Order: sequence, then structure tokens, then C-alpha cells
Amino acid sequence: MWPNNKKYFYKEEAKMRASRVRKFMLLLFAVLFLIGMSVQFGMAGKSGKESAPAPEKEVVKETVVVSGPFSSASKAVEEAKKYKGTTLNVVWEAGLQSQDPLTMGPKWEELTGIKIKVVELSYNDIYSNQLQDHLTGGSSYDVITFSPLWLIDYVTAGVVAPLNPYIDQYMNKDDLKDYLNVYGAEGYGRIGETWYGLPDDGDVFVLYYRKDLFEDPANKSDFKAKYGYELAPPKTWDQFNDIGNFFTDKFSPKIYGGAIQRLEGQVYSWWDGAFSGNGGRFFDPDTMKPMINSPIGVKTLQQMVDQNKWMPPGVEKWGFVEILSAWMDGKLAMVITWPPIGRWSAGYGATVEQLSWVPKTKVAGKVGYVPPPGRPGLAGGFCLGISPDSKNKEAAYLFIQWMNSPEISLQRVMLPFALRDPFRISHFESPLYSSLWPDAPEYLNCLKEAAMKGQMELGIPGAREYAEAIDNACTSAFAGTDPKAALDNAAKRWEEITKRLGADKQKENYALWEKGPWNKEGPK
Amino acid sequence: MEGFMGEAANTVSPGSGRRLKSGWFTYRQKKRITPWLFVAPCVVIILLVTIFPTIYSFGLSFTKWEISLPNRPFIGLGNYAALFKDVRFLHSILITAIVVVVGVGTEMFLGFGLAQILSVKMKGKRFFVAAFLLPVMAMPVVVGYTWRLLWDAMYGPINQIIGWIIGQPFQFTWLAKTSTAIFAILVTEIWQWTPFMFLVYLSGIVSLDPELFEAADIDGASGWEKLRYLTIPLLRPIIIVALLIRGLDALKFFDVIFALTGGAPGNSTETISFYIYKTGYQFFRLGYGAAASFILLIALVLILSYLLKLLKTVME
Repeated sequence: MWPNNKKYFYKEEAKMRASRVRKFMLLLFAVLFLIGMSVQFGMAGKSGKESAPAPEKEVVKETVVVSGPFSSASKAVEEAKKYKGTTLNVVWEAGLQSQDPLTMGPKWEELTGIKIKVVELSYNDIYSNQLQDHLTGGSSYDVITFSPLWLIDYVTAGVVAPLNPYIDQYMNKDDLKDYLNVYGAEGYGRIGETWYGLPDDGDVFVLYYRKDLFEDPANKSDFKAKYGYELAPPKTWDQFNDIGNFFTDKFSPKIYGGAIQRLEGQVYSWWDGAFSGNGGRFFDPDTMKPMINSPIGVKTLQQMVDQNKWMPPGVEKWGFVEILSAWMDGKLAMVITWPPIGRWSAGYGATVEQLSWVPKTKVAGKVGYVPPPGRPGLAGGFCLGISPDSKNKEAAYLFIQWMNSPEISLQRVMLPFALRDPFRISHFESPLYSSLWPDAPEYLNCLKEAAMKGQMELGIPGAREYAEAIDNACTSAFAGTDPKAALDNAAKRWEEITKRLGADKQKENYALWEKGPWNKEGPK
Repeated sequence: MEGFMGEAANTVSPGSGRRLKSGWFTYRQKKRITPWLFVAPCVVIILLVTIFPTIYSFGLSFTKWEISLPNRPFIGLGNYAALFKDVRFLHSILITAIVVVVGVGTEMFLGFGLAQILSVKMKGKRFFVAAFLLPVMAMPVVVGYTWRLLWDAMYGPINQIIGWIIGQPFQFTWLAKTSTAIFAILVTEIWQWTPFMFLVYLSGIVSLDPELFEAADIDGASGWEKLRYLTIPLLRPIIIVALLIRGLDALKFFDVIFALTGGAPGNSTETISFYIYKTGYQFFRLGYGAAASFILLIALVLILSYLLKLLKTVME
């Protein structure tokens, strides 16, 4: 037993400690509260200053595009009414992409009573999760989304259901002819005459350049004096290199000659188009021996390494967001990337809430559009399909028919925040789209021209592995490995992949892929 | 189940020791079965989510399971044999070994040093201890993305600070060069996990018997001698346990690689876990990926057994 005075002492000590802790906690809470409030109000004040224009309320433009006997959209709505009360799980790429079904889903529900639940997944997870769901016998998804690159893998694994029975029953067949040639071609959303996916996105690379810099008389004369030819949007990669060097030498660090996404996991898309544009061919079609490490392949990679020297420091780790920020901020003379950046840099959609994170454009009215040198990459793209495991296959099909129909898809590609790009002939010819901003007609023409001469990424079984080998070669070369050695390694991996998947089968698939309209101009 | 348990509750009143209704089972049977019923849900869940997938993936590792192939033939040890010829896999082992040896080794020394410094009475000790622990509380993937910004060539504070020191702009792309990317990974790993080592060692040091150190002082032992002959030998079990926990964790190192370098440049910064992720979930080569996972599992078991044996020896 402690003496009473000691007991008293410990009790008092404990009380004092508790009191100190309480005081400290109160103080800490007060400090955190003040910091939180000041940050909150500081940010609100900042955004209040910068976002003066009210968000655009009406983002969906009403369209009427009907050709042929009936409207596929109306037919889909009429037929889908019998599934009222159903919920469809629709897979879509997370982020801005999913704003599209999140905007259109409620309209569909209003028309048919079918609820749309959007399952947002990252690009890589879309591939894996849909496969996993099917392979594990799940039926989590009704509508699935896939890149044309995955088509053969998905068909082999049975992840996508053939759409022909539904197309025959419900679609106005003229709509199939409305796809731009490259997007409606075999190997994109269909194999032979069997449709597995409705092409739903016109992803193609475009070269954006600063017209004000290119048309400046001082720049023009300085450039001619230095390089001996007129300053104009580049038609070859050598010209691209000269122009980039010129602007970086003259204006950096304020303005750099240009930038291209070099981040691992993305860079192969730029190599593919440039390689093909330089006259490269992926395989020898007779022996299936990889030709990526040919002198053309090495030249292509060397060009990319050389370009990095005049691009902003650290460009080797730049993805879409870094390019977007620098471009919108007026820090780049040229960029080669996907179509949305062209719309946003013109200021289209600048006031919608969904784009509040996009830096305000400082280049509106100064942007020119041309197809990139050589052959533009038809990189990415999406098709809409239905899962064979879905319990609501017909309702799922009717939803994608409605979304993909000429009139509804036009509304979707015109959503200011959409990442879906024009893919139907009727989109490119739409007067409504052409009126969206002053240079929109020029933009649409460029997109169409680029797509028509574009090079689709290698879409044969194992596409992801082949692409990753190129990607690794590119990032290795950026890190200092000799481009030839880097591509030799990649070629070795390609051989191993081809052997593993069966050279004969791959030969057939490659022959099929080479038949695509994207190979009419090449690969040489 | 509810009825059974309800009945069980009625049959025996606590403290009375009486045997009341028998129901379907005798009291003795119920006493034997009841504990099993309590653990049954856990056992079933563990069987479903751990044991079954492990056995299933072990079976997969003997097949050629490729997403691009319609058939999945049995190929025996083919995947295992191929893995040991796969330069990329062997390289991922090397990178993992570097993370474990250099990363965890450095964490051990730094953590021990910090623990020694903060084990003495000093002003603001609690603040420092709390502050040092903050990195451990962050999610590794968040740490990876944060450090990615810190290492940024144009806007990263690391380059900015170096620029101030050398008096001119410094715009080095740390994550795009092989050697510096590995360095950046190690710095990130060490930054996050040194505090864990520090905490474990600090708790060990403060729990040591002060009388031993007082006796050493009386005997005229120097600071180094006390460290060498008292602190380290007494802390040996704790050092081994800390190494065990961190070592096993580092062998599975994934999140930071995913966020910081994505395995690039090339595949020079891929660890075994990252390689398995790519093989299994990016390329859907499930048989090959499963075989790689089992090699990792065997490595983990061997290291664990060795360290546990060491621990047992030390404790004895």
C-alpha cells in the first residue's frame, strides 16, 4: 500500500496530465480547424477569381441525323421499353471518359426506364477486369468496352458476344456504312463479317502547332536563314526536328519547340506510327521474323531520342496531363497527341464544371492542326460490346445501339468534356459540329485526313506484350541504351512471344491485320 | 445455428454447473463441438480465400495458361524451367535483392542510430518520435506518387534545392535513367520505412535494464563498449524480428515501383512482385505468373525459416 500522501500525489499528477492532454488536444483541434478553414476559403477565393464564367448548363446538343429506312436510336428506344426497370452495368474508362455515359445514361433511363450503372475502371483494369469476370464465371458487366487491340484476345477468350443477331434485328444497316473506313474495317470491331464491338471512338494523333509562332515574320526569316527552307508545319520527322530545335534555341525556357508523351506505358503508340511512316514493317509476313530492329526501326528510335534533346527537361516522364498543361500554358510550339487537346485549346468547353481542372487556354485562336509527319498513329480507340455472360444481353445491345447511333453519338462526341472523338462520316460532315468554334471545320478535316492515312497499332494476339516490348525499348533508349541494342532486345522478345503463341497462327493473324485499310499506304 | 446456440445457452446456466436439457447433443458433445462452431466461419473463409486459391494457382503453374491460346495444356515443370532462363525474371530478382539488402540494411542502421539518439532524455523527444513516424502511416502508393513529384525534372523540389546549392538551374530526370531510378526507389523506400525500424529499436532500447548500463559505467565502459557489448547483444532478438518483418515486406515490394517508375526505364526497375503483376494481370499468362509467384513464395518461406531459426538460437 502506498502512503496516503503518495497516493494523493499520483492522483494529482494524473489529473494534471489529463488536463494538459485535454488542453493540447483542444489547441491541436483549433489549429487544424483554422488551417482547414483558411485552406478552404483560400481555395474558394482563388477558384472564385478564376472561374468567373458560369458553367455551361446545356452541354448536350440535340441532333437529328437519320439516313435509311429508320433511326437506329428510335428503334433501340422502342424495343428497350420492354426491359423497363432493368439495370445495366456498363464498363467505361474512369475519369473524364465516364462523364459520357454518366451524362447520357439518365437520358436513356428517361426514355426507356432502364437504369445505367457506370462501372469506372482505369484503362489497364478494363482489359483485366472484364477478362477476370468472364473467366471466373461472373456476370458483373452487361456492356463491355474494349480497345481494337484486344479484339482477338477477347474473341479467343470468349469475353465478347457476337452482335450480328441483334444488328440484323434492330439496326438500320446504313449506320454500319457511316463509320469512317478505318474504324469500320475488319480487325477494329469485327472479324470477317462478325461484329463483336461497335466502333465508338476515333482516336488518332494530330499535330497541333502555334500558328502565331509559325506565321511570325521574324521567326520565318530566322528559320529560313538557318535551315534554308520555309518555316511551315512539318511534313517529315527531319523537319519536325529542325523546327523543334529552332524554337527551343530561340525561346527556351519560355517556350520549347514541342513535346510528345514519352511516359512508359504510352510511348510505343508514337513509335508505331513513326516507324510505319518511315516505311517500316513489323514482321516479315513469310517467316514472322520481327523487323522492328531493322535500320528503319533504329532510325525511328534515334529520331525520338534526338527529339527529346530539344523538348522540355524531363519529357521522358511526361504523360497526357503534363503535355496538356504545358500546351495550354503556351509553353510549347508543337505537340502531337489525341484529339481532345485541340478542342480544349480552342477554349471549347472551358466553362463546364467537368473541365474545371484543365488549365485555362492561353492559345485559343492560335492553334493550327495538321496530321503528324509520316503516318499518324491510330492509337487506342474504343468499341462497345456486350458480355456473353450478361443476363440482359438484348437490353445491353439496345443501349449500345442507341449510344452508337449517328444522332446520339454525334451528341456524345460534341460533349465539351468528352474524350470520345469523331468516328462516323456523319460526324465529320456535321454542320453542327463545324459551328462549335471558329476553327472546328479545319479541325474536323484534319482529324479525318489523319485517320484516313493513320496506322493502327499492331492488333494481333499478344498485342499488349508486343507493345510493351517496344515501350521498354523506347524508355531504355531514352535512358542511354543504344537504340539498336534496345530494339534487338525487343525483337528477341517478339520472337519469343510469337513462338509461344504459335508462329503459324500469328502469321495468319498478322496477314489479317495487314489487310486492314490502315495498311493501304503501308507499312511499306 | 441460432437455434442450436440458443438452446446451448439455455442448457447451462453460468456458474451453476448444472446439467439441464440434453437436446440433440449431450453436454459433453456440445462442449466439444461449440468451440469448433465458433472458429468454423474463420476456417471456411480462410479455406476459400487462401488455401483454395493457393492450391488452384499451384495447379495453374504446371499449365500453359495464356489468354491468347484456346487450350491450356499441362506442361509439368515447363514454366519453372523457363523462368530460370528468363533474363527479365532473373533481373527482377536482382532488383528485389538490392531493395532487400541495401534498402532494409540502410533502414536498419539509420533506424538504430535514430533510436540511440532519441533514447536519451531530451527536450521535444515526443514531438520528434511522432514526427518520425509520419511516413509509416502514409500509403505506399501515395508515397510513390508524392516522390514522383519530388523527383520531377522541371518542377521537383529536389532539383530546385540542388540548383540553389550549385547556383544554377538543375533539371536532371532522375526517374528516366536506370542508375538514378534505382537510387530514387531506394531513397523513397528508406524514407518510408526507416521510422518503423526506429520505433522497434527505440522500444527495445528503452526496455533494456538500466542497471546493466549503470554497472558498465561503474566498470568504466566507454559508450562504444556499452553499445558493442550490451545494447546490440541484448537487442539481437528485436533486430532479427524487425529484419524479418521488413525483409519479408521488401521481398513483396510493389506499390512504390508501380507509382514511381512503372518498372522503367526498360524493365530495369522491376521487382519480382511487379514482374508477376505484369505477367499475370497485364499479359494474362496465368500459368507462368503462378510459377513465378511460387518461386517467390518458396524464397519467402526459406528466408522466414532461416530467420526464425536464428531467432530461436539467439533466444536460447
